[in-house]
Amino acid sequence: MRTLGILLRKEMLATFGSPIAYTVAAVFLLVLGYTFSLTLFATKVANLLYIFHQMYVLTILLVPALTMRAIAEERRTDTLELLLTAPVGEVWIVLAKFLSMLAVVLAMYAGAISYAVILDTYGSPDWGPIASGYLALVCHASLIVAIGLLMSSLTENQVVAAALTLGTALMLWFADSVSYLLPPPFDVLAINLSLIGHFKPMVSGSVFVSDICYFVSLSLLALFLTTRRLAER
Amino acid sequence: MSAIVAKGVSKRYGPTLALDSLDLEIERGEVFGLLGPNGSGKTTFIRLLAGYLLPTAGHLEIEGCDAVSESLKARARIGYVPEAAPVYGNMRVREFLAFMARLRGLPERRVGGAVDRAIAALALGSVADRPARTLSRGYRQRTAIAQALVHDPPVVILDEPTNGLDPRQIIEIRELIRGLAGQHTVVISSHVLPEVARIADRVAILLGGRLLGVRAMADTPDLEAWFLSVA
Repeated sequence: MRTLGILLRKEMLATFGSPIAYTVAAVFLLVLGYTFSLTLFATKVANLLYIFHQMYVLTILLVPALTMRAIAEERRTDTLELLLTAPVGEVWIVLAKFLSMLAVVLAMYAGAISYAVILDTYGSPDWGPIASGYLALVCHASLIVAIGLLMSSLTENQVVAAALTLGTALMLWFADSVSYLLPPPFDVLAINLSLIGHFKPMVSGSVFVSDICYFVSLSLLALFLTTRRLAER
Repeated sequence: MSAIVAKGVSKRYGPTLALDSLDLEIERGEVFGLLGPNGSGKTTFIRLLAGYLLPTAGHLEIEGCDAVSESLKARARIGYVPEAAPVYGNMRVREFLAFMARLRGLPERRVGGAVDRAIAALALGSVADRPARTLSRGYRQRTAIAQALVHDPPVVILDEPTNGLDPRQIIEIRELIRGLAGQHTVVISSHVLPEVARIADRVAILLGGRLLGVRAMADTPDLEAWFLSVA
């Protein structure tokens, strides 16, 4: 655990010391604030469903910009050689990077809690779907960050890493769209791989263990593959 | 007792054989030079010693620890300066050294003292509180060497440590490396023959991934002539 603490501190310093995190957070909150105001004035309904979907899309679009540097930059500047020749397991290196990136995304999400507070001040929102919506977003962010780390471990080119992350996330988003083209059992597989298919019920207030398992298992798979990639010597 | 034992060590990158059945023993406390032109396998062997790469075949031991099955233990016994002398640019020199000391397993109570000693040994006092990204090439190289020594490892591995340094800095680094002899086992790779001749107790010549010969410097009055005769 001491190793994780040492690495996490280093990653936090790097992440929160970089202008990328602040730029991404600023764009995220600006776009969200804009759409929240528009939606609230147009519908006059006290719920955050539309905002949660906005956050879902913005996470897919913006998180690759955060994660692209994570390992690719260390490989490019040769500092990865320092980490991998230290007596620490690769899993701690990956976990520290994952937690620091997730912390940035959760900080962005925390900024969006103000919208729920506004709704509570001027209306009577149903807190159940709001809580499950945030749970869905945390699960979603974990998966996109984990995919971003995996892609960053595959290349030393940050733009390529970002493009691969975005591409993978979009493919998962629309996985169910190709199901009607596929023969059984691949059609069912495609439907079950769909990101939006597991996000939608949770964000609407229906929390199923299967949906949580989808996000947790895919996140763990991506983190495992990242660790294996670093362990390739 | 040998600090490093390599028996039949090979490394393959896909179809390319970078290191071919290397047998070598490096004694404790000696300064050992690896010579060879670019692409000879020096950096591959250095990276195997550092634990950055694992051998495709053969047996490699660092201070009695198997480099494959006891990789973490073996890595805890080394200090390593990669060829590019990487440092974390966002950290101050002192922070960077403390981070590396902790990462290499030094207990918290000893970190401060170890960092101060490394800063003094490498004459980094004037830049200790500067961000590493602002350092000149010479100070950057010294910082990279300091991080390899900060935890006082028994084995120090240096890949082209005098690359890009001016003559005065080269002399200083050379004296520092000579000063490590006896207390530490030092493995240094270089393609600059006179440099290695001044520092090393023994030298090995690598070419095309094969070990062509090992000699004590005391028995090699003309390193250049020997190099040309075997390489």
